[in-house]
Amino acid sequence: MHIPDGILPLPLTLGGYAACAAAVFFCLHRIKKRPEPAADIPKAALLTSAFFVASLIHIPVPPASVHLMLSGLLGVLLGFFAIPAILIGLFFQAVMFGHGGLTTLGINGVIIGFPAMAAHYIFRFGTRGKHGPKPTATFAFLAGALAIMLSVLLFALLLVTAVPADMGAAVEKTAMLVIIAAHVPLALVEGVITAMTATFLLRVSPRVLHGV
Amino acid sequence: MDPRFRLVGLFVLIFAYSFVSDFRLLGAMLIFTLMLFFISGLPARFIVQKLKLPSLIILVLVLILPFVSGQNTLLDLGFISLKQEGLHASGVIAARFLCIITTVMIVLHTAPLLTHVQAMRAMGLPWIMADMALLTGRYLEVLGCDLGRMQTAMRLRGLNASRPGLYMLRTRAWLCGSLLVRGLERADWVYRAMRLRGYGQNRTATLQFRATALDMAVLSAALLAAGTVMGLEIWFGL
Repeated sequence: MHIPDGILPLPLTLGGYAACAAAVFFCLHRIKKRPEPAADIPKAALLTSAFFVASLIHIPVPPASVHLMLSGLLGVLLGFFAIPAILIGLFFQAVMFGHGGLTTLGINGVIIGFPAMAAHYIFRFGTRGKHGPKPTATFAFLAGALAIMLSVLLFALLLVTAVPADMGAAVEKTAMLVIIAAHVPLALVEGVITAMTATFLLRVSPRVLHGV
Repeated sequence: MDPRFRLVGLFVLIFAYSFVSDFRLLGAMLIFTLMLFFISGLPARFIVQKLKLPSLIILVLVLILPFVSGQNTLLDLGFISLKQEGLHASGVIAARFLCIITTVMIVLHTAPLLTHVQAMRAMGLPWIMADMALLTGRYLEVLGCDLGRMQTAMRLRGLNASRPGLYMLRTRAWLCGSLLVRGLERADWVYRAMRLRGYGQNRTATLQFRATALDMAVLSAALLAAGTVMGLEIWFGL
């Protein structure tokens, strides 16, 4: 779900950077308000590395296999560190694997980062005052699945409308529906994995679930 | 070369490339990128390997657009027709993609990645993001090895990785959870070690880079090339 270089027009890629810069500014402002922000940086960085590595785990979805994105879980655990962490992850992916792109770093940050923040709010508000595995699993599933579906929606919208060619309204609509429908199984798998991981963390190490 | 100048030059060039849609300029861009590639001395296999993954979306677009986009038919095959506008869009996307990704690989893979992060810090990247990026980069390999060891242990205990269903999803979720717990535990030790070495006491960015006349000349050439490309694109579009 990364838009590569070369597809989007210059104003849109610059707009993506501007939107991401505003989001990062807001997140860093909230982080700096904490009593000891430096203490949280190693935790956020190590969790970012863990997410980066965990996203390499392949899940067999016959007839192929998919790799996890875990943006919902990342939002749940990292909170305001999620958008900076995603940008760092996207930068490393673009440079190390050529996955995504540097001109589209801002836009990809919006596509993955904003839904991750939405997942953070879904989980935090959903589980406020509720304890136990059931609410944790339910809201973790919602956070994981909705983060992917929101990302897919943004990805499809940008890809179909910003491609430098006029495809006609009917073809654009069909292309968007195909992209969204193709990602529904991935969203469900991510939702289930997020719910299972969250309940595992609740049992094994609840402080991880409390986030950074 | 000073990594700060490298980064500025790279970003200016790739954003200029993403602005171009005229075929004459795209051709010039391709020739310039090819020249850069030969000067860099990087093996062709390396670039081809890096092109594999992102090329999937590009490949789909390049193959589909000539048949679904545009009004002017170039070739009518009855059930399907090749359109001029779609073919143009395919060419534009493919050329821009090749030029940008090759330039990025040439510039960023001829110096250590963490040096570029330090250069970004020196250019004003917030310290929280710079420190996160440096630590993330440093621990990627460590946690990657952890994952490899955990997967080997799972296989030795008889896990069938290809077996679909909830069992497989649960195993993957626990694997992912264990990796996160290990990551956070390691973060505690890392933070204590960093505090002992004075982390968090003095946060003034130290400038380790020094630009030379050659850096200035190369950056000026990159800015001139980008400006020329963008100027000509506007000129041709009038």
